[in-house]
Amino acid sequence: MSIDTRFRSAGSYRAPYHMENSDAAILRFPFPFPEDHYMYSMNIEPHVKAGAVDSLRRTFDVDEHYVVECREKARILSEDPGRCIVLPHMRAAEWDFVELAMGSLSEDYPDLFHLSRDGTRWRWINRPLNIDQHFVFGDAGTLPYAPFEFMARQMQGDFTLQDQRDNDLWMDGGMVTSQADWSLKFDLGMSFGQWHAPVPKAGEMGIFDRGLRFLLMLQHGRPVRRLNWTMTVNPRLDTSPENFTIWGRDRAGVTGDNARDLVHLRVELQALFRLPRSNAILFAVRCYLLPLRDIALVHKWRIRLHRVLRDLDPALSAYKGLDLYRAHAVHYLARFDNNEPTSKGIGPDQDALVRT
Amino acid sequence: MNPATGYAATISSVDVVAPALRRFVVSRTKGAFPAISPGSHGVFAFGNGQRTWKNAYSIVNRSEDGRALEIIVRRAEPTRGGSDFLYRHGGPGLNVSVLGISNLFPIVRTGRRHIMISAGIGITPFLSYMTEMRKDGMDYALHHYTRPEEADAFRAMLSPCDPSRVRVHEGRQEAVASLRMLLAREPVASHLYVCGPGGFMEWVRQTAATVGYAATKIHSERFISPAGGRVFEVMLARSGKTITVGADETLLEALENAGIDAPCLCRGGACGMCRVGVINGRPDHRDHVLTGAERDSGDVMLTCVSRSLSPTLTLDL
Ligand code: HEM
Ligand code: FES
Repeated sequence: MSIDTRFRSAGSYRAPYHMENSDAAILRFPFPFPEDHYMYSMNIEPHVKAGAVDSLRRTFDVDEHYVVECREKARILSEDPGRCIVLPHMRAAEWDFVELAMGSLSEDYPDLFHLSRDGTRWRWINRPLNIDQHFVFGDAGTLPYAPFEFMARQMQGDFTLQDQRDNDLWMDGGMVTSQADWSLKFDLGMSFGQWHAPVPKAGEMGIFDRGLRFLLMLQHGRPVRRLNWTMTVNPRLDTSPENFTIWGRDRAGVTGDNARDLVHLRVELQALFRLPRSNAILFAVRCYLLPLRDIALVHKWRIRLHRVLRDLDPALSAYKGLDLYRAHAVHYLARFDNNEPTSKGIGPDQDALVRT
Repeated sequence: MNPATGYAATISSVDVVAPALRRFVVSRTKGAFPAISPGSHGVFAFGNGQRTWKNAYSIVNRSEDGRALEIIVRRAEPTRGGSDFLYRHGGPGLNVSVLGISNLFPIVRTGRRHIMISAGIGITPFLSYMTEMRKDGMDYALHHYTRPEEADAFRAMLSPCDPSRVRVHEGRQEAVASLRMLLAREPVASHLYVCGPGGFMEWVRQTAATVGYAATKIHSERFISPAGGRVFEVMLARSGKTITVGADETLLEALENAGIDAPCLCRGGACGMCRVGVINGRPDHRDHVLTGAERDSGDVMLTCVSRSLSPTLTLDL
């Protein structure tokens, strides 16, 4: 495929919404449920270039929505520059991020991205976004934006930078434009325990204590990943508290008839990296949205999603903001569930979709 | 990098810093080491064909082009283990692989002033700290304590540093006289970093506490070089294996030699990664990680430094 046909050029992540997924995009969706029941757990695994679906197999995943998503991100940043903040003591982490992002993107997608290095003189080519940038690594004055912002604008998903001190992690920087109802402005400067405070149950289950202890020991070159999920009405990336008045009311508009088109399963592929010169941790959150009608094209997934949503713990349902429309989603999916057993794991168990 | 084999390298030069101290430059055969944050240590694996050692050393410097790392090693007493081998036989051409690099002793970048106190070989992390602090224009001071016979060696090592920021103190007398005063003179915002032998670090901590430092402003890296001890047996409950831990090897090394996939990170009782459950027997705890309650319970231990008080231990492995 050429660059021009690989990426969608049209689409809208705000009203009037318009977002479609190809069959390939559906089959590579990181469906987050390995079993028919969901509860929080220490679901951390090594972020290696392998996995049940294709979206897991690169350091940073680039898919058919890349160009449109980067455009949406630029628009959000122009409306609210406060979506990107990096505290001054995170300068070294910014360059770590630039090195990791450019290095791995050019290695994973040599036809799209290219990096050449001659000592500290670097050249970065991003073909889909038409960028050809010469700069001096370590000299922020040679880039059109601050280093972290320059690179995070060219990637799908959100990124936060955590400083490690006093045996804790502190969210001291980030670019956050496709979040599930939390805010960088609010969480900036907070510790691991503080920014997780709104989450029900996981604290008592010891997940945050273990998760933090694990991350404090995270080693360079051995990144890890986890999948997290929620649901969103309409294909909207920016479900931020700042813009709640725009998207919040959509949740009351879901009916038994429109749930298949309006309700989206929102999956976050979260990858965590130790950054070598700063000792900071990069938290990368890549967001995937799939409407129920597309999930219904995968036999195993539609049955499993029905069971997970039907039996979801009420505390999780309330925290994720699903209470207004979960019943409609369950009602739509129930028709597919004939009580047959499902296989373990997240893979779709089919190579092609049958569209009727 | 392959996590199992690490970064392949060889020793490219050795120089004698003092009669008991050697500086090694370890260079990659191909490619570069990753960038490194100040205070990092690497786990270095090397051996003589019969035996492999895996020791953690602070990384003093990474060359500009990333091809070389520098470490300083003190001849270990008693003469067991890797440091003694490196000291005696570590010459140019010896293969060394760097299995992993981590940082358990980072600079607190939000601090406004940083004061470093080291003794002897404990200077090594601060050599990398000062390179960064100078580059970033941070406010800092180093006080290094040494036995008189090594004072010249440390002065030479520190000669490239800004003389208004570093001071070498010789001998016990001077240490006792100076420490309290110099800590008391610091502004309250200063962060204190300590590295050196266990007794020294404890003394600095206590002195700092008595002149009013908050515990959160005192940072130390409590690495232990694992000491040998009595031979003991371990029974592995899950695999059914029985292993003998020799007098001059650690439990972790014995597990690795027996082909058990045992977790570890710092190999010096500082991180807690090598924790295993103890089903039977009395562990001899030598780490700085377990809480008093965990120690007393006797049902967990850290394999990298701790040994056994009973002739046999049964582990949940
Ligand atoms: C540096 C790493 C991490 C960052 C920056 C991060 C950040 C966040 C944020 C901002 C939230 C939303 C909280 C809110 O409602 O305001 C969240 C939720 C959550 N986090 Fe993390 N997190 C990290 C690591 C982890 C790890 C390692 C785990 C588990 C092992 C974890 C488990 C969770 C869970 C279970 C939720 C609730 C999600 C939901 O139900 O939708 N997080 N995290
Ligand atoms: S490996 Fe770090 S405490 Fe044992």
